[in-house]
Amino acid sequence: MNPVLNSLKQAAIDWRLVMMGTVLAAIAIVFNILSGGLFLSPENLYNIAQQTAVVGVVATVVVLVIVARHIDLSVGSVMGFVGVLIATLMYTAGWHWVSACLAGAAVAIAVSLYQGALTAMLGVPSFVVTLGGLMSFRGAAFLVADGKTQPVNDAFFQRLGGGFDGAIGVGASWLLAGLVVLALAAQSWAKRRAKASYEVPNNPLWLDAALVLVPVAIVLAFVAAMNAYQIPSKDAPQGVPIPVLIWAAVALVLSFIVHRTRFGRYVFAMGGNPEAAALVGIPVRRVTLMLFALMGVLITVAAMVSIARLNAGTNSLGSSMELYVIAAAVIGGTALAGGSGSILGSVLGALIMQSIDSGMLLLDVSIGVRYVIIGQVLIAAVVFDVMYRRLTGDTV
Amino acid sequence: MKLRNTLTALSLGLAAAGAFAQVVGVSWSNFQEERWKTDEAAIKTQLAKTGASYISADAGGSPEKQLADIDSLIAKGAKALIILAMDKDAILPAVNKAKQQKIPVVAYDRLIEAPGVFYITFDNMEVGRMQARAVLAAQPKGNYVMIKGSPTDPNANFLRAGQQEVIDAAVKKGDIKIVGEEYTEGWKPEVAQKNMEQILTKTGGKVNAVVASNDGTAGGVVAALNAKGLKGIPVSGQDGDHAALNRVALGSQTVSVWKDARDLGRDAAAAAVTLAQGKKVNGSTTWSGGEKKVALQAQFLKPVPVSAKNLDLVVKAGWISKDDLCKGVDAAKGPAACK
Repeated sequence: MNPVLNSLKQAAIDWRLVMMGTVLAAIAIVFNILSGGLFLSPENLYNIAQQTAVVGVVATVVVLVIVARHIDLSVGSVMGFVGVLIATLMYTAGWHWVSACLAGAAVAIAVSLYQGALTAMLGVPSFVVTLGGLMSFRGAAFLVADGKTQPVNDAFFQRLGGGFDGAIGVGASWLLAGLVVLALAAQSWAKRRAKASYEVPNNPLWLDAALVLVPVAIVLAFVAAMNAYQIPSKDAPQGVPIPVLIWAAVALVLSFIVHRTRFGRYVFAMGGNPEAAALVGIPVRRVTLMLFALMGVLITVAAMVSIARLNAGTNSLGSSMELYVIAAAVIGGTALAGGSGSILGSVLGALIMQSIDSGMLLLDVSIGVRYVIIGQVLIAAVVFDVMYRRLTGDTV
Repeated sequence: MKLRNTLTALSLGLAAAGAFAQVVGVSWSNFQEERWKTDEAAIKTQLAKTGASYISADAGGSPEKQLADIDSLIAKGAKALIILAMDKDAILPAVNKAKQQKIPVVAYDRLIEAPGVFYITFDNMEVGRMQARAVLAAQPKGNYVMIKGSPTDPNANFLRAGQQEVIDAAVKKGDIKIVGEEYTEGWKPEVAQKNMEQILTKTGGKVNAVVASNDGTAGGVVAALNAKGLKGIPVSGQDGDHAALNRVALGSQTVSVWKDARDLGRDAAAAAVTLAQGKKVNGSTTWSGGEKKVALQAQFLKPVPVSAKNLDLVVKAGWISKDDLCKGVDAAKGPAACK
């Protein structure tokens, strides 16, 4: 066999992710041609990055929920409830944003634990519990402020949602990019050394170099694009938007949790085979509860970003978001049957959905056609997933 | 014989009493929404004034339940019905049943297209005209963006048609160029924000005015404009949302067309009582502008455009407190209502 192909085959590369990245790139190129170069303009990339952040943050944790063979249909409603609550505490009650957000987080965790307890302790299917939550918490979002829109005027808090002052500037963006590049290189080098010390054969150097250089190139290109976008009335370019940083941080932390903590491995074990997981002594109930609590924390983060971005908390905030979030997870390769899924996949999934939506908006595609296409993309992604699993013999 | 006389007298007496004390049945589609509480209070007040009594049922968002609700309202003795239809077509069997029993039906705020129905609502075309007029006055020339309402709400198109009437001449003359036009799914502010961002990108930020169809979408538009550092661009809205009135006071929104739900409730109750007495309603017109072009008796109420000049109106009406209206407004530079 060709040695290049052979080493590609042996390297632990997630080909599904690579293919999704390729699909995303293809979508971007097609839209860019159709829109006469508008789609890949720094301004539009800046828009898309921001528009995706809220769905992206929630999708990262919904991946884990689906992996554990649960589902959460209430994410949009709970986010609306918590968002309006935070906005009301800030606007009507006059709280500082920090205390308002902490209170919001406490409520979100309580709500999630309530739903999690019904699921984990009583064994009520999470589909039913969160379907009830979908309705109740939308109602609660209405009750918090009697359906009135609550403006968010705190200039510092507004930065969390991006917007006029919501990016970190050129210098900080490059600094951050540099740190990411160093971290990627260091990680790869440490891995090579560890493998060598256990006398495990390493990937060929060119392959490891490529595995570092591709993400490095993506990071640098992204930062360069963000640094190229300047709002006409400002005298310096924007740099990386804060909501995107928050999303990246969340994805990074969750990836770490998934791969490096006991909790993360338990979640996957439970999803793969719940009976076996219980038999080997995994505290299934506790892990499920913790998973729901994590959900509550991230819903609060998403609610903060989303009210900061809209400069208001409205009772419709996040309605039908559960569909986008679940779609992002599924397009990102999470199996609805549980047991497999990846955080990075959900990031790509969310980006693919938003790119198609925003791209069609740029092209003035009518709303009906947009829905038809987005729905079919979701189906196409799952068809691809099914075929891929069949071809690679992946059982789950 | 005596007994029969007594019964006749009794029934005549009841009929006579009925002429004075009408029972008006109100069928709500979905009472959870905040605004219908205001309407209900206004209907009750007006009915009490004319000595009529109020019975009601809430369909909780279900068209099927609403059919049963109307049956039971008729069974309870309603002599006139006010219906806020959940589904304008599914409601028709109930409307026909009422018609057979000669019970007049008032279609409240939402159109029911069946012969004999009395339709009462705010003039949505006029709301659209008022929005466009206010924006046009502030920005007579340049690039316009039209942020429309939900594609599933017929009112969205009435609004848009009214807006077009006002700007049509300027568009034809070339003074106004419509550079973006989008529906807003579910009237959601965050959707309006995303749509506005994409329009700004598409046009390179060259937007001079935005005609948004309600206050929620206007909020999304203003957030998108602020994020691009675009200040002082005229934006319209409607509903008199507190947040929007606050934006009008702050100067980031030009107008919010206000429909006083108390007027609608009052006039609908008055119309129901008048119709039950077999009389014609003052100020009604024949209208056939619906999808099926059915000719109906209709009454259109005039909304009020609230801008920086007449902000005191909403405070005086008790709609919003001065503190809420003027939150964050610099008293020295702000509109008269905040001084």
